[in-house]
Amino acid sequence: MNGAPLLSVRGASRHYQSGDTIVRALDDASLDAHAGELIGITGPSGSGKSTLLLICGLLEPPTFGEVRIRGQLVSYPDADLDGLRGFRRDNIGFVFQKANLIPFLTAAENVAVALEIANIAPPEAHGYAVELLQALDLGHRIDNRPSRLSGGEQQRVAIARALANDPPLILADEPTAALDSVRGRQVMELFRRIAIERAACVMVVTHDPRSLDLFDRVIELEDGRIVPIGKGGG
Amino acid sequence: MNLAIKDIRFSLARFALTALGIGFLLMGAIGAIGLYRGIVADALLVIDRIGADLWVVQGERVGPFAEGSSISATMDRRVEGVPGVAEVRRFVQFSQQFAYAGKPRRATITGLDYPKDRGGWFALTAGRHLDAAHFEAVADVSIGLPLGAKVRLAKDDYTIVGLTRGLVDSAGDGLMFVSINDAMAIASRRPSEQVLLAREANGTAASQPADTGQSSVSQDSKIAAVLVSLQPGADVAQVKAAVMHWGDANVISRAEQRDLLLNQRLWRLRIQILAFASVLLLVTAIVISLILYTMTMEKLHQIALMKLLGAANARIVSMILQQAALIGLFGFVLALLLSNTVFPWFPRRIVMLPRDLALLFAILCGICVVASWFGISRALKVRAQEVLS
Repeated sequence: MNGAPLLSVRGASRHYQSGDTIVRALDDASLDAHAGELIGITGPSGSGKSTLLLICGLLEPPTFGEVRIRGQLVSYPDADLDGLRGFRRDNIGFVFQKANLIPFLTAAENVAVALEIANIAPPEAHGYAVELLQALDLGHRIDNRPSRLSGGEQQRVAIARALANDPPLILADEPTAALDSVRGRQVMELFRRIAIERAACVMVVTHDPRSLDLFDRVIELEDGRIVPIGKGGG
Repeated sequence: MNLAIKDIRFSLARFALTALGIGFLLMGAIGAIGLYRGIVADALLVIDRIGADLWVVQGERVGPFAEGSSISATMDRRVEGVPGVAEVRRFVQFSQQFAYAGKPRRATITGLDYPKDRGGWFALTAGRHLDAAHFEAVADVSIGLPLGAKVRLAKDDYTIVGLTRGLVDSAGDGLMFVSINDAMAIASRRPSEQVLLAREANGTAASQPADTGQSSVSQDSKIAAVLVSLQPGADVAQVKAAVMHWGDANVISRAEQRDLLLNQRLWRLRIQILAFASVLLLVTAIVISLILYTMTMEKLHQIALMKLLGAANARIVSMILQQAALIGLFGFVLALLLSNTVFPWFPRRIVMLPRDLALLFAILCGICVVASWFGISRALKVRAQEVLS
């Protein structure tokens, strides 16, 4: 990839005190991610994948190191991440293993709420939410509540919500873990499409080896450290 | 979109039940406060409405409500002659048990100094005021006597010629108004055996009639007090001094009579009910706080999600406050509806004063805000990453 990285992580570590020992959940991880890239993050359980995602998503500060987004230093040890709520809203979209939809809102409202939080007027927010859902083949589910949607449909609504504010960075933590292989593949293909069409950087933590072919590159983590493998390496 | 209302509409049954629960709690608080107000209002009813500036009662006593009082049957004529006195009326009041339609009834017999006082100072719901010196009565509906009913009191039959509503004494017994002479006759009833025994004890002749006005049985006067209306501009202190100078009478003003009743006779009862109302309010506050706090706790995951989506604290605080306010508001409205439906059927009067209801609503708002604050302070501590937990 050419140009300045959208996301730049330098020497990020995350250490936890557990009794007398220090657990190194993430150890000196550095990576650059560019717009339009679909990056897979793999590794065994406890290797630090989710911790890396939390640090990239400004949900945890690194114990050491720093995180820059669009060149702006945003996270470092003792950074006030709660104060970055607005920045996170405009720049980062999240998708998790569980869709985490609000049960009392319809599919369209679940997407629109992310826009209204960004101070978009309710009619415009609803209109754009409907457009997004239609683009994700959920036009027939707009007025359904989450309990009426299948797991795959719920996850697509969650993806639509992540896309709502048109963030340049999308972080997904095992988004296909609760889906069957066909639905899982469809979701990964959706991320591929998003990366291309929206020129967004999509980083996906996954255990599923069947989708690895869709990634531009794969970052493998082991014992909290990045092990460069795959097409491009970390 | 309004998330608070969306959530409520989604769980409408739960919201309704919660509001109903709060409504019942508030109804209890309204009832306790209303009972207190009712007892005070009932107690002061006669004192406030009968229109007496001064009460002349038995010397060295503070009757007739705070303690017993029995004055000379001619005391009213003496008082009438005191300068500054415009009008006097004799007053007597006592409890009476009698039977009607085979069932026992209770009433507080109140003597009206007919014809000066026909009872014009109280309103009727049916019938008319007293129109004869004897054997007519006006009864409160709480006694359970219909218009035209005939009841036997002592040795005479009385016809109910008028009905009132809400005229009861401090114990809650309905008032039954008769002429003062009838009231004295009812109060003087004695079994024949008692009369004979009294004659023997006094050594009087057995041939003397028992039912004449001058009974051979020694007895106190049944007149409890003389109600005094003063002339405009009369010097109250001078009138009081003149009457008290006789030595056998005490004079109590209307304000003193109110004070005696509320702060002496009914003091313990008032404190008891007020304490009960306070405890009920405290329990209500705790329960409402717990309900609102629990509701917020159940939303922590959604709050974490909103933070992840970048929601400002103000939006989260607003959602919690709005829900608390809506539950409080609906609970209060339900409490008012329930109170107005249920309390009229209670045996004692429950007085719901607008200022008490406004104060209760203000307290409820305070409870909602404080309870929400606990929830809000917890919600503000939620971290966005908790959405993953």
